[in-house]
Amino acid sequence: MNIRLDNLTVNFDDRFQLDQINWQLDDTQHWVITGANGSGKSALAAVLAGAGDNLSGTIEGLPARVGLVSFEAQAELIERERKKDDADIMDVISEGTPVHEILSEGGRNPALVSQLVEMFKLESLLNRSFRKLSTGESRKVILIRALASEPELLVLDEPFDGLDAHTLEMLQQYLATLVETVPMVLVLNRFDEFPDFVTHIAYVDHGRLAYQIDRNDKRAYNELYQLLHLKTTDLEVPAADPETAIPRLDPAQPLVKLNSINITYDGHRIIDSLDWTIERNQHWQLSGPNGSGKTGLLSLITGDHPQCYVNDIFVFGFQRGKGESIWQIKQFIGYVSTALQWEYKVGTGLRNVIISGFYDSIGLYTKATDRQKKIADEWLALLGMSDRADTPFNKLSYGDQRLLLIARAMVKHPPLLILDEPCLGLDDMNRQLVLALIEKICAASETSVLYVNHHAEDKIKGIENYLKLEKREPAAS
Amino acid sequence: MSNNYFNTLPLREQLEQLGKCRFMSIDEFSDGVEALKGKKMVVIGCGAQGLAQGMNLRDSGCDVSYALREAAIAEKRQSWKNASENGFVVGTYEELIPTADVVLNLTPDKQHTSVVNAIMPLMKQGACLSYSHGFNIVEEGMKIREDLTVIMVAPKCPGSEVRNEYVRGFGVPTLIAVHEDNDPKGEGLALAKAYAAGTGGHKAGVLMSSFIAEVKSDLMGEQTILCGMLQTGSLLCFDKMVEEGIDPGYASKLIQYGWETITEALKYGGVTNMLDRLSNPAKIKAFDLSEELKQIMRPLYNKHQDDIIDGTFSRTMMEDWANDDKNLLGWRAETAETAFEKTPAGDVEISEQEYFDNGILMVAMVKAGVELAFETMTAAGIIADSAYYESLHETPLIANTIARKKLYEMNATISDTAEYGCYLYNHACLPLLADFMKDIKTDVIGKGLDLEDTGVDNARLIEVNTALRSHPVEAIGAVLRGHMADMKKIV
Ligand SMILES: NC(=O)c1ccc[n+]([C@@H]2O[C@H](COP(=O)([O-])OP(=O)(O)OC[C@H]3O[C@@H](n4cnc5c(N)ncnc54)[C@H](OP(=O)(O)O)[C@@H]3O)[C@@H](O)[C@H]2O)c1
Repeated sequence: MNIRLDNLTVNFDDRFQLDQINWQLDDTQHWVITGANGSGKSALAAVLAGAGDNLSGTIEGLPARVGLVSFEAQAELIERERKKDDADIMDVISEGTPVHEILSEGGRNPALVSQLVEMFKLESLLNRSFRKLSTGESRKVILIRALASEPELLVLDEPFDGLDAHTLEMLQQYLATLVETVPMVLVLNRFDEFPDFVTHIAYVDHGRLAYQIDRNDKRAYNELYQLLHLKTTDLEVPAADPETAIPRLDPAQPLVKLNSINITYDGHRIIDSLDWTIERNQHWQLSGPNGSGKTGLLSLITGDHPQCYVNDIFVFGFQRGKGESIWQIKQFIGYVSTALQWEYKVGTGLRNVIISGFYDSIGLYTKATDRQKKIADEWLALLGMSDRADTPFNKLSYGDQRLLLIARAMVKHPPLLILDEPCLGLDDMNRQLVLALIEKICAASETSVLYVNHHAEDKIKGIENYLKLEKREPAAS
Repeated sequence: MSNNYFNTLPLREQLEQLGKCRFMSIDEFSDGVEALKGKKMVVIGCGAQGLAQGMNLRDSGCDVSYALREAAIAEKRQSWKNASENGFVVGTYEELIPTADVVLNLTPDKQHTSVVNAIMPLMKQGACLSYSHGFNIVEEGMKIREDLTVIMVAPKCPGSEVRNEYVRGFGVPTLIAVHEDNDPKGEGLALAKAYAAGTGGHKAGVLMSSFIAEVKSDLMGEQTILCGMLQTGSLLCFDKMVEEGIDPGYASKLIQYGWETITEALKYGGVTNMLDRLSNPAKIKAFDLSEELKQIMRPLYNKHQDDIIDGTFSRTMMEDWANDDKNLLGWRAETAETAFEKTPAGDVEISEQEYFDNGILMVAMVKAGVELAFETMTAAGIIADSAYYESLHETPLIANTIARKKLYEMNATISDTAEYGCYLYNHACLPLLADFMKDIKTDVIGKGLDLEDTGVDNARLIEVNTALRSHPVEAIGAVLRGHMADMKKIV
């Protein structure tokens, strides 16, 4: 068997569409399809059982006998039985089709059926009417039907849902005995349910097959795990630490007010007489080409630029250059950039990297409180990195480091979060990860986000103010 | 020529001053820079220390400006650029010194007498003069106006580190002192503490010491283990490897980056950890070599310490100053002409472990130098904490400079005083080790031991391990590093 989907676009009753799927499965592989709710993962599985209307593209090599288990298949059978009852209603009161009849439909292997009935402990229900079964019981029936149909391909959409622990284990073991003979495609949402025999993972996002991953590619596997986790977790952005609370700001004042700012290097003016005010609860996007002074402008706000002492800068209640320290300024800011990531070359454990956000330091130089540790652990849980709390930061992949630095920046719930090209240097999967995290943060906090990138077109949900710098001749818009 | 201040003191006081050293608790810095609030700080000179300290102090909320000599301003020299491009007010002595509450003298030590003589008449009544090295006061006996407070805040790191560590939210270990002859208002300590806090030093650990202890230990460390030993070791190891037929490019690289790599291990776990990076037979070999080296070099270390204590060193160096630096410049030129300096590092891959395995002699030299310097300093009455910072602690920092651009970079980064002492040491040490080097082969430098038999005698290994671990520099090192590590979770 070698199934091939080329540029396949499939429509499902105009309710949903899978777009331009390119995918190949051969009979030595066992796939898991995964993705967030509504992503189209079940639709993709159903396509393998012939569902949907092909609008364009091709699908080749589908075997004749596909064993399908899904909520849809289950619902369909229940619906069919209900209709049968309705049809019979004029005659006699129907008892409905008994389970044993449902199981032997379509010439299934009787020996195998009875073996499975025994395994699923359905003996006592064989004479019961199918429509009187509970959901869990009817699911078992569907499973047995699929398994006993001597399929050339098994498509199991969330097969473990609603099974008790014992049955689940039994089913997993049984599936493992089939790996040599039947290729399988499972739709699963929890990584810990992925059976060991699965060789590949397909990740579906918004009706597209976004990633195909070989299970042996540990890095990609981990990233996918995190992405799915961030997209599906119920965990919220952890709260701030009341003991390390940031001082209250006067609500009437803007967060940042820059008056006629100049930045000059070697007599060359990069930024010329720029005015910029960031009010509370405003989200901003700052864009402009390289060399237009984006980073310089940001570092005037963060206090990292020496010329902040020769400019008229008001930040978080301080007029700069009047005896305040940069640490008094930094406490109001969370900051993430590629440069910070380069600076952050430490072997500190992940938990401590997050805690260092409370102190705006690179590395942790203060004893953390239990509460801070707890908050850091909540962030790690949100990121799906709980098992790595003590892993040294410099051992992480580039993308994971970025996620962690975002958590570090947010841990104190600063009034202003500066994300300086947060996706720079990241591959698509890691970009998705970072954006998923940012969206979660934007939705869940009162932090003003200042998002910086090259391209003004790359917009982020929820940002409504734009400042575009031009090279040499900056202008506010 | 001026009077050596130390030599004017009675023995009792000399000993008391040399033995002054207390590790301060972070709680003693809870007032932060409060004592400097509302005070005007004027830095003289904007070089390595001047710029780094000034930026840190300003970022801590202090009012900082720079007084430069007129020529530097008129010619827009680097020092002028450093200060003005970083947004500081820059002015002449006449413009700024009279307004200053605290004057930070961060010019080269050699210039201190002329600089201080120029600014003293301009200073406000009751103001404070600070140094980052006590040479001028201790060795030249500079007398400061009685109404002025004189303090020292000496970061134990190059200027670049001083700034970088601050930006990370940390600091570098710092030594502070008050010149007791000049503390008319009794505010010296409060000012020195606030200044140390303003540079971030309090987070990494502050030693409360004396001008004398600072000078006598600082000079000793820099001349011997820190710069002298690394220079001598570089030249000897390179020539030996080439003589034994090792590719010069490889030899050059092994040395240029080897010091940095092996002393990185020193930084984290002391001499013990550095030797633990070797295989057992190599460790025993390095230990034996270092014992031999210590025996040969001990008289030289003693001589350096003696000359430093009794002022012979500073006197001869000042004679060279008066002689237009003839010796210093000559030695500098000589160093530039050495084979090691002129052979670029080859394009070969050397793994981290290989630097240890093939650099057993270098490890032995570092061990011998660190232990001898430490032993000599403490024997001269310097407290262990101080001796540790001036020997083991700074070795990796100096090794980093050699990795950047060899001996040239090292000698350009360190002060002229250190450079002068380094050459002195080198000239005495090269002939001293000539015989020793005759027996050296590539098994301990260049190729590593031929490990057909990796077995060692258990009893001997235990002996070596115990000796390593029970050296006093390891005891104090464990305490001070432990203190740093408590806060500095950077591994
Ligand atoms: N480097 C270190 O690792 C280190 C560590 C701790 C303490 N210290 C101490 O810090 C102090 C400064 O050392 P440094 O290494 O920072 O020196 P540096 O980098 O050589 O800088 C010295 C500055 O002083 C200026 N200067 C030179 N001669 C002058 C003169 N005659 N009058 C006025 N200004 C003059 C120079 O500027 P112009 O020539 O442009 O005028 C330059 O900006 C020394 O006391 C040193 O012992 C250094």
